[in-house]
Amino acid sequence: MEIFWLVILGLTMGIIFGVALEKSCVMEPGVLIGQFLFKDYTMLKMFLAATATGLVVLSGLTALGLAELHPKSFVVGNIIVGGTILGAGIAIAGACPGTVFAQIGRGYKDAWLTVIGGIMGAAFYGYNKSLIDGVLDMGSLGKITYAELFPPLPFWMLGLITAAALVVVMIALEMYRPWKVDRGMDQNNDASARSNAAHA
Amino acid sequence: MDLLRQNVWSPYLAGIIIGLLQIPTFLLVDTALGASSSFVTGTGFIFSLFDSSITEIKYFAKYMSKDKYFWQSALVIGIALGALISYKASGRKASFSSASWKNIGASSAPVARLLQGFIGGFVLLVGARIAGGCTSGHGISGLAQLGVGSSVAVAAMFAGGIVTANLLYKRAS
Repeated sequence: MEIFWLVILGLTMGIIFGVALEKSCVMEPGVLIGQFLFKDYTMLKMFLAATATGLVVLSGLTALGLAELHPKSFVVGNIIVGGTILGAGIAIAGACPGTVFAQIGRGYKDAWLTVIGGIMGAAFYGYNKSLIDGVLDMGSLGKITYAELFPPLPFWMLGLITAAALVVVMIALEMYRPWKVDRGMDQNNDASARSNAAHA
Repeated sequence: MDLLRQNVWSPYLAGIIIGLLQIPTFLLVDTALGASSSFVTGTGFIFSLFDSSITEIKYFAKYMSKDKYFWQSALVIGIALGALISYKASGRKASFSSASWKNIGASSAPVARLLQGFIGGFVLLVGARIAGGCTSGHGISGLAQLGVGSSVAVAAMFAGGIVTANLLYKRAS
């Protein structure tokens, strides 16, 4: 596809992504950090729903031979250390590399500084990549997936089973704590949500 | 359009919509949904204004040349546009920083928010680039492909986030 159309496609998909992040309040710092404090379960629910949907979609696309998977390499040291630093960064910034753009669109001025910090962080890693990767080097297991670890089951079957398991987890979570409780909404009266000033 | 004017959506609806975005991503761009690579693309082009030799660094050159990274850069700009449309449609007001910060006992002083934003953003991208992906790339996309590395990355992400959040913020609102 020509770059022009890829950019149009990216913008269109991003708009849908941004609306979903804003409407679900997942881009609110208090909601994101609230998940790490286990006082708000919105982020986990959205995350599980997106993952389960992705599993079903990719099971279908790969079973029909329409798409190939693009799993990321399991570079052991980088994944463990980088993942931990990323988690700390989410807790400090109250944002992920994607949701910070939703914060900018939402009109939060401080999110611009998060993006500037992010650019400096990406530069720091880019200029020092070989040094950092060298220090963290613990070998790589390659682009391995659980479907390859359980050869009796094809990806689409393991994908659908995993998606079903995630649905069970979501049902249990919803019974434990309905999502409207986290939004401060009266469960029986949607109208109160509209007058609720506390957005997050 | 009524859906766009609604104040809040269930996290399940939002998650399903984001999960469905994998269809055009895999079919038309032949990649997985992600966000943090766009920072390297942005960094490369911004820094090339001061450092013309940056394109000789393989890592930056890669993110400044492949089509899929231009797609992803457009995606994150779209995310900002989408959030803008969404909050305007529901009649919310813009503010310097999110009101939700007070729910976790954080200061709303602009200087504190800017400083924490900058430091947080730096840590965020150092971590994401070391790990080779963020909450979208390793999280939503990596897990949807049953990636072993991505599942470890998500566990590390939650571990780092839970420890840091409990050190920095208050549970009680």
